[in-house]
Amino acid sequence: MTATTHKPGLKLTTILKYVILIAGALVMLFPFAWMVDSSFMTTSEIQRRPPPLLPAEAQVQNFSDLMGVLPFGRLYLNSAIVTVSVVLGVLFTSSVAGFAFAKYQFPGRELLFYLILATMMIPFFVTLIPVFFIVRQLSWIDSYQGLILPSITSAYGIFLMRQFIMSIPDELIDAARIDGAPEPVIYWKVVVPLIRPALATLGTFVFIGSWNAFLWPLLVINSRDLYTVPLGLNTLRTFAAEARNLNLLMAGTVLSVVPTLILFLFLQRYFIQGITLTGLKG
Amino acid sequence: MSATRTRRRSTAGWRPASWPASGLARRRMIWAYVFIAIPVIWLMIFSLGPILFSGWVSLHRWDMLSPVAEMPWEGLENYRFLLTEDGVFPKALGNTFLFAIGGVTTNVVLGMAFALLLNTRIRGRTLWRVIYFLPVITAPLALGVIFAFLFNRNYGLVNSLLILLGLPRQGFLNDPNQAMLVLIAIAVYQYVGYYVVIYLAGLQDIPQDYYDAARVDGGSPWQVFRHITLPLLRPVTLFVVVTNTIGALQVFDLVFATTAGAPANSTMTVVLYMYNTAFKFSRMGRASAMAFILFGIILAITIVQLRLFRDRTVA
Repeated sequence: MTATTHKPGLKLTTILKYVILIAGALVMLFPFAWMVDSSFMTTSEIQRRPPPLLPAEAQVQNFSDLMGVLPFGRLYLNSAIVTVSVVLGVLFTSSVAGFAFAKYQFPGRELLFYLILATMMIPFFVTLIPVFFIVRQLSWIDSYQGLILPSITSAYGIFLMRQFIMSIPDELIDAARIDGAPEPVIYWKVVVPLIRPALATLGTFVFIGSWNAFLWPLLVINSRDLYTVPLGLNTLRTFAAEARNLNLLMAGTVLSVVPTLILFLFLQRYFIQGITLTGLKG
Repeated sequence: MSATRTRRRSTAGWRPASWPASGLARRRMIWAYVFIAIPVIWLMIFSLGPILFSGWVSLHRWDMLSPVAEMPWEGLENYRFLLTEDGVFPKALGNTFLFAIGGVTTNVVLGMAFALLLNTRIRGRTLWRVIYFLPVITAPLALGVIFAFLFNRNYGLVNSLLILLGLPRQGFLNDPNQAMLVLIAIAVYQYVGYYVVIYLAGLQDIPQDYYDAARVDGGSPWQVFRHITLPLLRPVTLFVVVTNTIGALQVFDLVFATTAGAPANSTMTVVLYMYNTAFKFSRMGRASAMAFILFGIILAITIVQLRLFRDRTVA
């Protein structure tokens, strides 16, 4: 918390410290700023050497032109449907299973839990081909099910929830049982309210992962009606490949990035919490 | 009551030792099974089952269209071919390692340095942390698009600046000698904030007493860093290095959005090559073998990590 390696009062080191931090922050922010800036330029302004610092006139119609090329409203809707379903699915299955593993005795508990831990170590690319095959056998290709259902459980989520639920005192659960509450009611009325911060942390991570997901939708979705935001951005990318329409590409990139940035600005506390939690317990 | 008793007696023969005796406990147990049913079934279908299937496929030739039962057996031929004959796979493996090691080591240094800065008496720590963290939550695909634009050979801003300074134009993503370095730079940019946050948390966990003691002994800032901070950050370093190396070895989106493996396969990575082999050329067996080779490497890294952790707790 306090200065540890610097003696206070040394003006030069303080100035140097801020100079380095500001320089770093500028580097971090610059690509975003340049993206927004050039999304308001004409393509010829973008390609001018050196490019102008700001567009002569803000080309707001880049964004309306973009809508003509790609129905961004539809992309947002698809991404929202998929992401919200995946987040709710993961939160529900993780917390309910985490509850069972933390607070119940049943034959096979250890074995099943170790199995779940083992699946945590399986990287996505190893299961990509078989899962694609299964999804195709189930006729889920080119559908919301195909995007959502394979992702509604998370071994990591179960593990995290179990850790949190283990810290809930047994007395709270027993008291609810004495009051005659059935087990699902105990889950919903006792456990869920107590693990809200953990759910928020897990939820934000799953949200970002699902919103940004690219490879799986690329494999599963063919029709434009079901495109998620990253798929739309990928289409724009190939569309702008011959250096035309760069302004539309940048406008599309702005629109694809804005939702996660807004979410992060509101929920950054949970992100930082989650990162440090997973990082230091590791 | 008596009904329950007879039922219990009749089932006693096959009941495992941990089988709960009372009806109430049994009902609870049934609920536990209900609670874990979906997750367990899902992980069987979409995780454990697939990995076994993937291993099986890697020993065959398969285009995913012919029936599973009729896949021609190839034994270890796919592995042999990849490791000895394939012109691209060893290169992809090397590139993937270069990408992972280059990015992770740079970020350990940068992340620790900025965390040390932020851990001193500073204004607006939350704001700094938010700014440095922004790229972490941004889609790699989007960052790939932005950076491909910034580093474009013809109209990219970086080349415009170089020319303005009288320096020669660079090929960057079009130059086989530079493309991988540019990708590493993008990955460093994207993930440095993650390291900053982790190291900052690690630094804040170090008890102040250590520093007070060092000050009494008259240690210089460098000595304090070298003999107190650095050793106490070792567990954090080990954790970020291992998890981020494993993550970086799986890179796909960034490469797909910038170079797609070009020029001259100088940025081809294992997962991208696997994707092409499987979904462009329908060689599922060979692609699965690639996946298993990389998976084996990742498992080895995980085991080393576990061992290092255990050794330290013993010591």
